Amino acid sequence: MSEVRLSAEPRIEFGKGAARRIRRENKVPAVLYGHGSDPRHISLPGHELMLALKTPNVLLTLALDGGSDELALPKDVQRDPIKGFIEHVDLVVVRRGEKVNVEIAVHVVGEAAPDTFVTTEQQTLTVEAEATHIPTGVEVSVEGLQVGSQIHARDVALPAGVTLVTDEDALVVNVTAATTAEELEAELAEAEAEVGIVHEATDEEQAAQAEASAEGAEDAGSSEGAPTAEGEKADS
Amino acid sequence: MLIPRRVKHRKQHHPGRSGMAKGGTKIAFGDYGIQALEPAYVTNRQIESARIAMTRHIKRGGKVWINIYPDRPLTKKPAETRMGSGKGSPEWWIANVKPGRVMFELSGVPEPIAREAMRRAMHKLPMKCRFIRREEV
Repeated sequence: MSEVRLSAEPRIEFGKGAARRIRRENKVPAVLYGHGSDPRHISLPGHELMLALKTPNVLLTLALDGGSDELALPKDVQRDPIKGFIEHVDLVVVRRGEKVNVEIAVHVVGEAAPDTFVTTEQQTLTVEAEATHIPTGVEVSVEGLQVGSQIHARDVALPAGVTLVTDEDALVVNVTAATTAEELEAELAEAEAEVGIVHEATDEEQAAQAEASAEGAEDAGSSEGAPTAEGEKADS
Repeated sequence: MLIPRRVKHRKQHHPGRSGMAKGGTKIAFGDYGIQALEPAYVTNRQIESARIAMTRHIKRGGKVWINIYPDRPLTKKPAETRMGSGKGSPEWWIANVKPGRVMFELSGVPEPIAREAMRRAMHKLPMKCRFIRREEV
């Protein structure tokens, strides 16, 4: 597991004005707590922190002002919803060898049987792992699974030294029957009728209509010829 | 179309449009999403049209989630009516969407198909939007 070293500066002024001044200097306000100690307010270098947080559950080594180092895990990251920059980070102090509860991603691999739809009900699993050996994720294979197959949290193979904290009966992956083309078309046609969507005829449909109308005109022309002839006979 | 079954008050004030979304700014269920970049009132017809556009493109392959609900009524006075005589009659049901809100989610299809399906859906929506992907934990 990767370990990233960051230099932390203590924060002495608080509030949104101070926080915004820190952010203008390309730093991120953060708070460090855990193990019963008082929370410590720090600021971290913005770019290095952003790169570090690209790794899930990254272990940070913080070089604090007094020359001491602290190991920490990101507990909560606040980001701007549009621009995505980091506004604030909560860090929790950990010790080497300590077991921590973390969320790890579930990666679904493989192809299920044809005409099935695979739904990932749990995108993450909460597990207990050693702080210095946190797995990046777990793989769940759905290769060849049939309709009605379910994978629960207890069925997921976890790496050695990692134990499951999430409820064992929690549904992780569900394989259901895919909707048939007829069902989908019927549902969409009903929804479109409700909204009032009218489809324009495609080129193929227009060509087919034109052909049908031409054939109809030919038929009508041949049938119209007979009365005229009769009329001529009648006139003569 | 999405319409509330029962409401406490038939006519409401216009909801505020200032500020950013306070929640629902990340993908919760699917793999891809449409995120609002501007504030807007999204009507139930627009939501349904966007869903239909997306579903028509992905065909049988994926699953669509709608994360907004049109629970606010908007009223309108009839044309050529003098002012006064009380509030107009309910005309639309809208969802008050603020910037950052993830409105639709999609899963079960490859990214190029999801991008195209969501691009088509964005044309049905009244604000600037963008396509987003699920982040790792």
